[in-house]
Amino acid sequence: MSTRTDPRDWLRTARETSNRRIALYALLTGLIGFFLLPIETGLVTALKTNDAFVATLPYVPPGPEGFTLRPARTALAELLPKMLNSVVLVIPATILSALGGSLAAYGMTNLDWKNQLAVVVLFVAGIFIPYQAVLVPLSRFWAIVGIGQYSPYAELVELIVTHTAYGLPITTILFRSYYQNFSDEMLEAARLDGASAFSIYRNIILPLSLPMFAVTMIYQFTQIWNDLLFALVLINQPAAQVVTQGLANLGGGIQTQFNAQMAGALIAAFPTLLVYIAFGEKFAKGVASET
Amino acid sequence: MAPTNRLRTAVRRCRRAVSRRLPGESTSADDSGRAVADGGTVTATDEGSSLFSRDFLESLPFWLPPTLLMGFFVYGAIGWNAIISLTDWTSFGTPDYGSLDLSQYGQLWSDPAFWTAAQNTVVLLLAFTVACLLIGLGLAILIDQGIRFENAFRTIYLLPMSLSFVVTAKFWSWMYNSQYGVINATLRGVGLDFLTAEWLADPSIVLGAVIFALLWQFSGYAMVVYLAGLRAIPSEHFEAARVDGATTLRMYWRVVIPQLRSSTISAAVVLMVFALKAFDFLFVMFGKYPGPGADILAVMMYRQAFSSLQWAYASAVAMTLFVMALIIVGPYLYWEYRRGEL
Amino acid sequence: MAQLTLDGVTKVFDDDGEDVVAVDGVDIDIDDGEFLVLVGPSGCGKSTTLRMIAGLETVTDGELRLDDSRINEQSPQERDIAMVFQSYALYPHMSVKRNMAFGLEESTDMPDDEIAETVERAAEMLGIEELLDRKPGDLSGGQQQRVALGRAIVRDPDVFLMDEPLSNLDAKLRAQMRTELQELQADLGVSTVYVTHDQTEAMTMGDRIAILDDGELQQVGTPLECYHEPANRFVAGFIGEPSMNFFETTREGDRLVHPAFEYPLPDGTAASVGDGESVTLGIRPEDVGIGDIAGDHAFPAEVTVVEPMGNENNVHLQFTAADGDADDFVAVVDGTEIHRHGEGLAARIPPEKIHLFGPDGTAIKNREPIDAEADAERAEQEPNGA
Repeated sequence: MSTRTDPRDWLRTARETSNRRIALYALLTGLIGFFLLPIETGLVTALKTNDAFVATLPYVPPGPEGFTLRPARTALAELLPKMLNSVVLVIPATILSALGGSLAAYGMTNLDWKNQLAVVVLFVAGIFIPYQAVLVPLSRFWAIVGIGQYSPYAELVELIVTHTAYGLPITTILFRSYYQNFSDEMLEAARLDGASAFSIYRNIILPLSLPMFAVTMIYQFTQIWNDLLFALVLINQPAAQVVTQGLANLGGGIQTQFNAQMAGALIAAFPTLLVYIAFGEKFAKGVASET
Repeated sequence: MAPTNRLRTAVRRCRRAVSRRLPGESTSADDSGRAVADGGTVTATDEGSSLFSRDFLESLPFWLPPTLLMGFFVYGAIGWNAIISLTDWTSFGTPDYGSLDLSQYGQLWSDPAFWTAAQNTVVLLLAFTVACLLIGLGLAILIDQGIRFENAFRTIYLLPMSLSFVVTAKFWSWMYNSQYGVINATLRGVGLDFLTAEWLADPSIVLGAVIFALLWQFSGYAMVVYLAGLRAIPSEHFEAARVDGATTLRMYWRVVIPQLRSSTISAAVVLMVFALKAFDFLFVMFGKYPGPGADILAVMMYRQAFSSLQWAYASAVAMTLFVMALIIVGPYLYWEYRRGEL
Repeated sequence: MAQLTLDGVTKVFDDDGEDVVAVDGVDIDIDDGEFLVLVGPSGCGKSTTLRMIAGLETVTDGELRLDDSRINEQSPQERDIAMVFQSYALYPHMSVKRNMAFGLEESTDMPDDEIAETVERAAEMLGIEELLDRKPGDLSGGQQQRVALGRAIVRDPDVFLMDEPLSNLDAKLRAQMRTELQELQADLGVSTVYVTHDQTEAMTMGDRIAILDDGELQQVGTPLECYHEPANRFVAGFIGEPSMNFFETTREGDRLVHPAFEYPLPDGTAASVGDGESVTLGIRPEDVGIGDIAGDHAFPAEVTVVEPMGNENNVHLQFTAADGDADDFVAVVDGTEIHRHGEGLAARIPPEKIHLFGPDGTAIKNREPIDAEADAERAEQEPNGA
């Protein structure tokens, strides 16, 4: 859908239009600058020595004397173990919340029973709750369960379960809107073919869900990797901290070393950025489906 | 003849409802040429019979476990939170569920810090949402002009959404740094020294600075939503307006924007609820107390709970947040239900 | 192979608190190996009836019996019934071979090699053995339809159900598939219930047809029975293309009075119609004779539109009443008869071929049985009718 040029006054409007187009592209490119500036600044700052980032303009790359990889190395040393923890967290939580969402959505959408809608509403509403409203009971609950004392990894398990549970609303709704578009007749044909509900899920729904699994898992991966709040509340042992906590703690001390912090921010952002650039379309789908 | 007509109309209504649920099923036209779906399940309107009880039982193992898990962690926890807010639980030890009262709420009411935080929360909510929608709409309109490299532009504008708020907070802490940060350095560079400010330290502007950073992160989302909304408008509407001689501005104002109502509402709800939760960003930027200019209820709650160990008080703050979310989301859910979108 | 019985089958839906009767007390017996067509206008309940037989809708009242045992409570999985859907409903991610094998895998204990063999055979029968490794998305509409058929055949069920399987095909393919389906069904000898809204399909394909309107069964009979002896006005108007002509008349003495003409009542009919009662006079277009005709049963008319069909001409005509009101009707004549718009001529309604319907629509009198010899004799005696 593009703007149409008036054919009757071709030359004049063509010139006007091309002026408009130039302005348009200039604006769009300028906006690119706006959106990338903080990241670019972070990048160049991360590579500067302490003296350099004081002396030079913040978005200017470092000169040869100002260039250093030390902040990056410091940040990496600090963050790498935490990134591993994040990986241990993210993979099971993403898979479980996606799978749970698929199963729940199937049970509520392609199978027919009364008052389904009430359960659906519970899930939809669950997407919108502010997590502050559950933090106190959550920490109390896990304290009561008491597995956290045995090992740092037990705390990660707590976090995995937590993220799975809180991820279910959005994954379920994502799958539900996808399953609603499945042909009812195809599923009826399967029933006439003698397939049970489980067989229909395994042989028909699941294979056809693969695109949606990709969307959902990319979305969940990003959400869970980037989360700070639950990690703060549930992870108390430093050995179990995830990368967001690590990054938040970077910059402790009186002198905040911005170059190290910038390096840390980029390192922590790297996986989600990578996923985003590789799978941008799917990410956008997941994000837009929140509405 | 009248009862037959009533029957016919009712069956047609059934069928129309069915054809909405079955997009893409082939339809046959009845005598008046209207498409009528012939053959489709009318769902959820059957009386219970043994057949459907079986369907219900068959479906249980699929949706019940996730629902129970989610139900406990979400609704169970909120209920528990409400009860805790009625106790006097603080620091170590266990809550006393025996004596429940509204004293925490009374305390909340008379706490100036609460009102400051509440006010900031509301300002953040409204200003951020409105600005984000406007910017998102602008971006979507620009992108929709049939430009080349559309994918590249969209990807870059949406990129900040993929970042953690921790990362964003770090970047913008650096951007806003009063000595070396990009903003002040650039202003000084072009001779606009008088415009520099203590962006994060000055309570009168800090909220604005926070909102601006959050806009950076979220405009892409609003853009994506509006882009989908714009693309859903049939191009005939644009063409008809053009043929009618409308200027671009007029066309957008009178033709396009009214049709984006549902996109706007959905996006607004999501943005507002996000603003309610915007803990991560502020915590990383300011720590547990962002100062009177930027303290919001979400951060206050965390502080009260995990720093001051005032569990019950924090729960009361959290319940306030929950009620605010309910006020935003409740009507939205009802509206969606009415539209049959659920 | 089985006898399928619908005994007072009724379906009531709850539409927002109101009860909607989609199917009302339908009684049909389908014999073993019979091809029964359920036909009627859109919304008449035929698809709902089919879905009740399949088990995809519950039966509100009445009984469904397969070989004399009640199947109302059986789930679709348990019934030995195969269905061909209007949209084919193939599994898009499975190959044609797997699509056809799936039913056997799920509902029988057949070993894999036997399944493969059965699928091969069915595919050959339908001419799709080349397509076995392809996916439905790579096939044309006609090919998909065959796969859907194959999927049903492979199961060797008690009953075939078909829900307008040809309506998504183009006209030529549809005509071709009609014959193929008939041959197939005759070969396999499986009881079949076939739903369509196209009365041509019904007439050409069914051993018997069951006509439904607004959930009620209007008539069950062979195609010719329904054509020549319609039970009521609805059936008479629904079956036959172009539709039967209807004239609203009132009996006065020994004639049926219409605004544009007075029709002498045939002998023997007088008793069944009360004096002063309204009667609908029906006559099929191919029975109307037009031209320079005289006689008690011929009346002046004017040609409005001529539709040349090649072998025949559909001539649309008008009777004009004294007060200027016009009543339109159609005559079908041989393709060599030339008529023009505006032409004035006489239209003859032969008394032995009329149908009479009472005020409630029921047939009072149908045309006399087709007797080719008698017709020929009559035509000889009165070349222009009398």
